[in-house]
Parts: sequence; C-alpha cells; structure tokens
Amino acid sequence: MNNMYTFDTSTLWAALPEIFLLSAIVVVLLLDLFLTKPFKQATYYLTQISLFITGVMAFNLIDQPQTIIFSGSFILDNMASVFKVFMIGSTMVAMVYTRHYLIQHALFRGEYFVLVLLSVLGMMVMVSGYSLLTLYLGLEILSLSLYTLIAIARERAGAVEAALKYFVLGAIASGLLLYGMSMIYGISGSINITDIANFAANADLASRETLILNFGLVFLVIGIAFKLGAVPFHMWVPDVYQGAPTSVTLFLSTVPKVAAVAMLVRILVDGLGAMHAYWADLFMVLAVLSIALGSVVALMQTNIKRLLAYSTISHVGFIMLGFVTGVISGYGAAVFYVFVYILMSLAAFGIVILLNKKGFEADQISDFKGLSKHSPWFALMMLVVMLSMAGVPPFIGFYAKFFILQQVISAGFVTLAVVAVVFAVISAYYYLQIIKSMYFEESDKDITIVAPMDMQLVLSINAVLILVVGIFPDFWIKLSLSLF
Amino acid sequence: MEQIYLTIALAPLVGAIFAGFFGSLLGRMATTVITIAGVLISTVLSFYVFNHHVLEGGEVFNQNLYTWMQIGELNVSVGFLIDNLTAIMLVVVSFVSLMVHIYTIGYMHDDAGYTKFFSYISLFTFSMFMLVMSNNFMQLFFGWEAVGLVSYLLIGFWHHKESAVEANLKAFLVNRVGDFGFLLGIALVLMYFGSLDYVEVFASLGNVTGVTMLDGTSVITVICILLFIGAMGKSAQVPLHVWLPGSMEGPTPISALIHAATMVTAGIFMVSRMSPMFELSETALIVVMVVGAITALFMGLLGIVQNDIKKVVAYSTLSQLGYMTVALGVSAYSVAIFHLMTHAFFKALLFLAAGSVIVALHHKQDIREMGGLRKKMPITYWTSLVGTLALIGFPGFAGFYSKDMIIEAVHFSQLPFSDWVYVAVVIGVFITAFYSLRMFFLVFHGESRMDEHTASHVKESSISITLPLVALAIPSALIGYLTIDPMLFNGWLDNAITVAANHTSMASLEANFHGANGMIPHALQTLPFWMMVGGIASAWVLTLYRSQWADWIQKKFHRSNYVLESLYGFDRFNDIVFVGGIKKLGNFLWKVSDSGLIDKILVNGSARFVGFIASMVRPIQTGYVYHYAFFMIVSLLIILTWVLFAGDNPLLEL
Amino acid sequence: MVSLSDYLILSSVIFCIGLVGIFVNRTNIITLLMCVELILAAVNTNFIAFSHFLGNEAGQIFVFFILTVAAAEVAIGLAILTLLFRVRGSIDVDVTNSLKG
Repeated sequence: MNNMYTFDTSTLWAALPEIFLLSAIVVVLLLDLFLTKPFKQATYYLTQISLFITGVMAFNLIDQPQTIIFSGSFILDNMASVFKVFMIGSTMVAMVYTRHYLIQHALFRGEYFVLVLLSVLGMMVMVSGYSLLTLYLGLEILSLSLYTLIAIARERAGAVEAALKYFVLGAIASGLLLYGMSMIYGISGSINITDIANFAANADLASRETLILNFGLVFLVIGIAFKLGAVPFHMWVPDVYQGAPTSVTLFLSTVPKVAAVAMLVRILVDGLGAMHAYWADLFMVLAVLSIALGSVVALMQTNIKRLLAYSTISHVGFIMLGFVTGVISGYGAAVFYVFVYILMSLAAFGIVILLNKKGFEADQISDFKGLSKHSPWFALMMLVVMLSMAGVPPFIGFYAKFFILQQVISAGFVTLAVVAVVFAVISAYYYLQIIKSMYFEESDKDITIVAPMDMQLVLSINAVLILVVGIFPDFWIKLSLSLF
Repeated sequence: MEQIYLTIALAPLVGAIFAGFFGSLLGRMATTVITIAGVLISTVLSFYVFNHHVLEGGEVFNQNLYTWMQIGELNVSVGFLIDNLTAIMLVVVSFVSLMVHIYTIGYMHDDAGYTKFFSYISLFTFSMFMLVMSNNFMQLFFGWEAVGLVSYLLIGFWHHKESAVEANLKAFLVNRVGDFGFLLGIALVLMYFGSLDYVEVFASLGNVTGVTMLDGTSVITVICILLFIGAMGKSAQVPLHVWLPGSMEGPTPISALIHAATMVTAGIFMVSRMSPMFELSETALIVVMVVGAITALFMGLLGIVQNDIKKVVAYSTLSQLGYMTVALGVSAYSVAIFHLMTHAFFKALLFLAAGSVIVALHHKQDIREMGGLRKKMPITYWTSLVGTLALIGFPGFAGFYSKDMIIEAVHFSQLPFSDWVYVAVVIGVFITAFYSLRMFFLVFHGESRMDEHTASHVKESSISITLPLVALAIPSALIGYLTIDPMLFNGWLDNAITVAANHTSMASLEANFHGANGMIPHALQTLPFWMMVGGIASAWVLTLYRSQWADWIQKKFHRSNYVLESLYGFDRFNDIVFVGGIKKLGNFLWKVSDSGLIDKILVNGSARFVGFIASMVRPIQTGYVYHYAFFMIVSLLIILTWVLFAGDNPLLEL
Repeated sequence: MVSLSDYLILSSVIFCIGLVGIFVNRTNIITLLMCVELILAAVNTNFIAFSHFLGNEAGQIFVFFILTVAAAEVAIGLAILTLLFRVRGSIDVDVTNSLKG
C-alpha cells in the first residue's frame, strides 16, 4: 500500500486562500476581544476585507492547472476556485444584509462574524477536499459553526430549538456519512478520491464482493442528501429556516448549498462516477420527492421563511435532477442551477431582512401586504425574485429550470421532466400569493424601510442581476459547463 | 431593415420604461406623450414594413440578432422572422394598440394609476411584438409568458375589487396549464428536431414524420396537440376559456387590446405559424377543429344569458376565437388570419364602444339598466352599429367576408366530423346575430331604463374616446372588402403558410370565389345569411317590438313602474315563447359547465386538491426531533432494502 | 483469531443500538447525545478494523480526527442544551416542538 504522507511546502500556494482565511480568522477573533463597544463595527469591516482578500486569492488561482497536494487529499482545480470565489462573493453579500439585521435585533457580536468566517473556511475545505477525511473535516467545520450560529440568538426559544434539531439530526447524518465512508474505505483500501475512483472503475460492480461498496454508497448519498435538504432527509430544513435568526437563515440557505454540491461532485462524480447508474436511481427518487413535497407543502405556509424553506427543497430537487442525467452538460446544468438558486435566495431573504425593524421581526407573508405602496422599488425587486423562482422567463430562474429539463429530456427521462414541470406549475401558485400580498392587498401595519443605503444598493443590484443575467445568461452557462 | 424591425419592437419598451420608472416624476402629460409617441413610431414603421413585405413583395427577413445562450448544439437566440404573416400581425397589433393608447387618455382620466397603466400597455405592446416577430420557439415562449404576465397585472389593475384579484389569479393559473402543454411541446420539438429555430425545424420535418412515441402515436401529432394546448390557454378555447370572462374585471382598454384584439389571438397566430407541422397531422387538425367548433357554438350560447355589457362582448370574443380555431382545423390558415385581422378591428371597436357607454353611465355595466342611448351618444351609437354589423357578418362589412369564408371552408373540408362542425358554425351565426343585436337594442334603442340621476348626466364621450372609435369603425367596415382577394387568394400569406395538397378547403374556396363584389349577391342565397337575418329579427322581436307592445299594455294599467315590469315581462316572454329552449340551455351551460363544473373542478378543485394533499403531508412535520430521526432512519432502511433487493441490479436475491 | 467480519458485525450492532436509541428515547436530550456517540464509536470500530486488516494506517488517522470532532461536537451540543434549559426550563425532548408543519 502506498501511503507515504509527505509534506512539501512548495505546494502550499494551492491552499493559499484557506491559509490566509484561517490566519485572518485568528486575527479577527483576537482583535474583537480588545475592541470596545463603539468600535465593534470594525469586526464587520475586517470580516469583509478578509473575505475580499481571500476571494481575490481564490480568483487568482482560476485557470491554474489541476494540482493535488497534501498527499492527494486537497485538490485545486477550476471547479474549486470558481466555487470558492462564488461562495465568498455570496457571503460578502449576505454579510451586508446580515449587518442590518444584527443591528436591528441587538445581535451584533464579534463571534457572529468569526463563526461565519469559520464556516466559510469549512466550505472551502469541502470544495477542495479530495479525500474522505478532508471532506469530512470541512463538513464538520461548517456544521459546527452553523449550529452555533443558529443558537446565537440565545434568548429566542425558537432559535435554540432550531439549533438543537439541526444539531441532533446533523450529528446523525454525519454519523451515517462516516459509516458510509468507512465502508468505502474498507473495500477500496484508501480514503483518497483518486484511489477510490480507480477502484470503482475496475471493480465488478455486479458481484457479491462489491456489495459493501454499494452499501456504503447508500450511506454517502444519504449524508449528502441531508446536507442538501432533499426529501426524505429534509425534516430539519423548514424548522431550522423558521427558527434561526433570519440573517442566519439567509446564510444557511445559500452558501452551504454550494459546498454540499461540491461534496456531491467530489464523492459521487469524481470518486464513484463509475457507479453512476446506482446512485442516479436514488437521486431520481429523492429529486422527484423533493420537487413534489417542496411544491405542495409550501402552499399551506404562512411564515415566509418556512415557505422559502419548502421552496428550497423543491429547488434542491431540480439540482439533483441535473445529476441524474449522468452527462457533463447535465452536471453543468445543476451547477448553473445552484448559482441561480443562490442569487435568488440571497435576494429573497435580503428583502425579508430589509423589512426588519427594531423589535419587529418580519417573517410572515402578511408582512408583505401593501409593500408596493410603501416601497414600489423593493416590491418590484421581490416580484422579480418570485417570478424568477417560479420559473417565468426572461428571469434567470427560467433558464435554470429550462437547462435542467432540457438535459433531463435529452438523457431520455421525459416522464421525469413532465413531473417536474407539473410541480413547477403548482409552485407558481405560492410565489403568486406573495406577489398578491404585495400588490393587491392593503397593509395593516406601518411599513418603513430603515435599512442603510449600502444594503439597499447591494440588494437592488442583487435583484436586478436576476433580470440582467436572465437576459445575458451565456457567460454563466459557459462557466458552469467549463467546470467539469 | 434590421434597424426598422428593432425600432418597431423597442419603441414601446422605451415608452414603458419611461412611464414605469419615471412616470410620477414626468407627470401625466409627458408620460402620455412618450408612450403614445413610442407606439406611433411602431405603427408608422409597421405600415412601412407591411408595404415593403406584403405590397412590394420584399424578401423574407430571418436573422438572429443576439445569442442568448449556447448549450452544446442548441442555440437560443433573439431573432426576427419577418414575412407577410408577421407584417400583417404587426400592423394589426400596432394599430389597435395605438388606438387603445389614445382611448386610455380619456378612459383612465380620473384614475390614480394613470401612468402605471400606460407603462403596462406599452410593455404589453412590446411583448406582443416580440411574440409575433420571433423566429424561434424560445422567444415565442418568452413573448407568450410576457404577454400573460402583463395581462395578469392588468386584470388585477383595480385591485381594490376583490373580484379583480380573484380573476387575475385564475387567469394566471389557467394560463399556466396551457403553458405547461406548450412548454412540453417545445421540449419535444427540441428533443426530436434538435433545434428551436422555426426554419430549421420546418426543414427537418421530413426526418421526424413517421417517428412514433408512446405506443405508436406519431410524434408530430403529440407535438401539435401539446402546442395547441398552449394555444387553447392563451386563445381561451374550451375548457381553458374560464379565465377570459373573468378578465373583464380589468379596465376596458385592456379588454379591447389584450382580451379581444391581440393577446388572445396569439394562439391562432402560433398555429398558423406552425402550419407546416400541423398539416402533417390529421388527428391534430381534427382536435383543433372540434375544440374550435365547441367553443364557437357554446360560448355564443352563453353570450345570450349575460347582462353585463362587457361579458356579452367577452363571450362573443370566445365564440369568434372558436371560429378562427375552426378555420385552422380545416387548414384554412389564411382565412383564420383574415378573421383574426377583421375581428381585431371590430372587436376592439365594440369593446371601446362598450367602454364609452360605461364611462358615460359612471361605470354601470348592466344592459338591463340602459336603453335609449342612441340620441345621447350618436358617435358611439353609429360606430357600435358598424362594429355589430361587422361582428354578425352583415354583407359588405368586414366580418361578413371573413366569417363567410370560414363557414365555406368548413363546408368544403374533407375531415371527419366536418359536417357536424358545419352545423355548429351555421347555428353560431344565428346566435351571434341574436346576442349582438339583443345587446345593441337594449343599450341604444327602446326606452331608457336608467335611473334619473344617471340619465341626466349621460353625454357623448370626449374626443380621445370617440376618435379611436371612428378610426376603428373604418377598417371594421371596409377591411374585409379590400383585402379578401389578395389575402386569401393572391398569395399575401404564401410565404408563411403551408397547406398540404390533400387538404382541399382552400383550393375549393378559390374555385368558388367570384370576387368581393360577387360575394354579396351570392350570400343572399345561402343559409348563413338567413340565419343571421333570423337572429336579428328574433332579437328585434324580443327586445324592441314586443317590449313596445308590452309597454303599450302596461301604460294602460300600471303607468308608474312600467320600466321594471317590462324588464320582467321581457324575460318571461323570452322564456315562454322563443328563447325558452336556447336560454335554458345557455343557463344550464353557464351554471353546470362553465361556472360550475369547469370552474369548480378544474380551477378551484385542483387548487383544493393540492391543498388537501398538502394538509395531509404537513402533519408529518410534527416538530419532535425523534420523529424526524425516526423518519430519516426509516427512509434509510427503505432505501437500503430497495437498493439491495429490488433495484435495477438487485445485489441480493431474495 | 477474531476475523474482520466479527468486527464489522460488532460495529453494525453498536450502530443499530445508536440508531434505535435515538428514536426510542423520548425523554432526555442527553441520551440523544450518547446515542450519537455510539454511532461514532461504531464508525471508529469499522475504520480501525479495516485499517488493521488492510495494513493501511489511513483509517486509524481518520479515527483520530473523528474523535477530535466528536469532542467538539459534544461541547457544542451541551452548550445548546444549556441554552435550551435556560429558555425552556427543561431538557425533555417533548418540549421542543414549537416549530412544525
């Protein structure tokens, strides 16, 4: 067995963004200790600066040749770099929205930002993880930070309950994932993705001897499905989305999805690509269930965070459909969908946060009543987001769905596409309910927007991008396709 | 030319953006000028394009302007296909839109949402242009969705009305059903043809002919029927018509523009555009024809029992759309487009005239509370008369030529069931004449049944309302006579429409055509003409003649409240003597099939069904973490069992 | 000689006890944490057994990391538990169902 672990400092450049971010976290954490109350805002700016520099470093690594370091457990390729840049960008946007929320609800603490940075670090490790161990560690750094982030609103019973649920279920899911990893390790003799891929490609998959490989695969798929929030491993999603402070929900519903998809690609596509026929069947079932349940149950919701949670579940179903196709362009479609989903989700939660005021937690659909009167601009932005989520052209959400469906159909799964479209039609109904409240109902409360200009500006750009990228999607589609 | 086409499309968009974003800054005057200028530019250029393409026989323009995305082989672009069909549509859309823009100045004068309204209708005009100018399925679908969206916003424009909000929700949902079929159709086109470009798809039709799917159904048939489902949603064919009467909750100008003249005819346009494909599928054509006939006949019947002035016109629109669809079904595409064009003019006219009456009566819409408006609103009266005569197909008027051609085309059709359809469309002529004249007489003739206060305020509408009426009355009267020959028989549409050799309707029509002048004397000897006369006569008997007679009696006995009495008497007389059967049937249809069955089962029913499922699924989410864990673990066990024992490759034999 | 399959059976038994424990237990959240630890113990057993029989030390390294992470996890779990006790006055599983539907 070749397991010579070497440590070559000349290859460290490939992990430069992670190394920098880790150092930055330590600095921010220490500095925050010594900042007195009037200067607490500095933590926020430091966070944004650290993220920005990390992002620039990751950006510079785009188009580097594929490099695998740390004895095969860390990979730098285009997918990793692009994902990192995208995650960091989304986090920065999310932080702009978050600051408003934290100030309004007296949650502005240095730990918050440190935890966000830590979870970003975890996700970066996941994206670049090329052995089961690095993937697992990245996942745990992410999850542990998220558990804590949710519970940061210590006085809110809902937040603590959400944290507990996420923690317990997340721990079980990690346990299942690890169990699967141990099986894969046991049969293939290695925890490196490259070795696993070699083993799977040469194994006789139909024989009894490789049964354990299949066994492990099921556990891995479940672990990934849990992270993505796919039915039937979705139970945590609505509760956590609803219970967590909205700024955490915003973060939780967006960036970690990229990491989860990256983990999916690393394990199932790069590692067990040879077993595509086996996991695609599972994915098909999970995807259809997710799309169906997400579209139907959302109809009955009155809490907008919960509604968006179910909507996320159905979007996840579409993302998984892309992986069912088993072709590169299908994976590209899925990644494109992830980008689009995050763009939309950021804007949707951004607008929810926008309505927050001191002592007023906007989280009901009814809170949107009459928004078109009080703030026609942001009502229009929300309209754009909702229509895009419903998949109405020419907004970006339409392309995402169209691209996935096109791939699914050309892979021969016409029925699957039909089912997906039927539920997409149903889901249009609840997005419409929100539009209806904004445009066709009178407000019973006073809606004033107190958010700072930077947030209003970023949010507007975010929402306008949904339309603009919808008109010029070519670049993003090419980018998504180039990652595989 | 490319610049001209672009300008046509973009001028209204510029207007819409200005009106939408800066409307409140610019003020009413500037908004009006900008949006109308935008549409005016489009109209003038559309006439230029019409002249260039149709009259001077210019080359067909087909070019991609901008590549939206490129996925492997698939290219999705914005592009224009300008042939004679497009040119005719451009003229119709831009002209009616211009008229409606002008009309809006007067109609929405007192409305707080004045600038918003202008922005919406300009946006609509832009979307409609993109739809008709498209050279590929994707852009068609975009235009399709965009017009639907604007229509949704406009139906709910007066959102303080509960019914308006309900109606627009219904419109959106019913249209989603149609769009779903349409999208699937497009997906199948993509799958089998590998392209979304019209020309490329039509060029490779030969490769797909004979290919079958799903137990031997021809792919072309499936695609055509799916596309037609899209058309059924947008063009309000039974059973997806339920949204159109509801859409009357919107302001009248949009009823004229969107729900009569342009958007609802998008389905007709689309099927004509796809004629090379539909020609290959007999089954699809039969479906189209039968659905059209059902719509034409039964929606007309429903028109009889309506008492809301706009609803009558709405049902008449449904019925006329049915006629167009029938024409498509018998492969007389050019006749369908011909009727689309004449209908756009006279139906927009009728709606705008109805709007003029509504404004004059301070938004009262019940025709039982009108009457005797002829003297007070002369311009509206005369223009409505032109519109009504055109609608019922009175010889010489525009609708006469187009409707007569449809009936004749059905007559010559060789398709199965075409005899039945012929009967349906001929009866339809009677019904059309009956409800149109009934409304016309009740509104304009006879004694006034308005209350004192309203009656004293009635006066002719302002110039911005009457001008469009007059401008639309002219084509409503003349356009049929002028264009029937070149449009149907002299090849105006030859470069856009394909008719298979075995579908002989058009050829027979041409053989029996003796010029526009010759049609009038000929018509006098045909059944449809006498059906129409019968319809007019019965409407006259039942609304004017008998009611005078009844009034005379009632004046002798109950001088005081004869108005009310005659109203009831009218209904009773109707019920007993003549309409009994038809009216009962109409009422029955209205109650059972229209508002009852389809509304409750299809629209509310499916919504409730989904809601029911949701409420069944929701309790699974109990909130207890051990239930969640249990659910996860049970799912794990099910998946494991499935993979190990029952999957495609069972690893363990049971 | 204890064979590989014996270890695997042992670990799967531990694993199942952990799983069953999670949903059978309806009283105390600390028990839930213990069950999660059991699952991790099963995983560790697997890794070590495989590592030993394959003669490959990667599995054992993996176990070190799992142990570390598990410790961190429990620390966070207990912290959340403390918070829960503070806001609800109880750590029974039954009280935590305000979020549902």
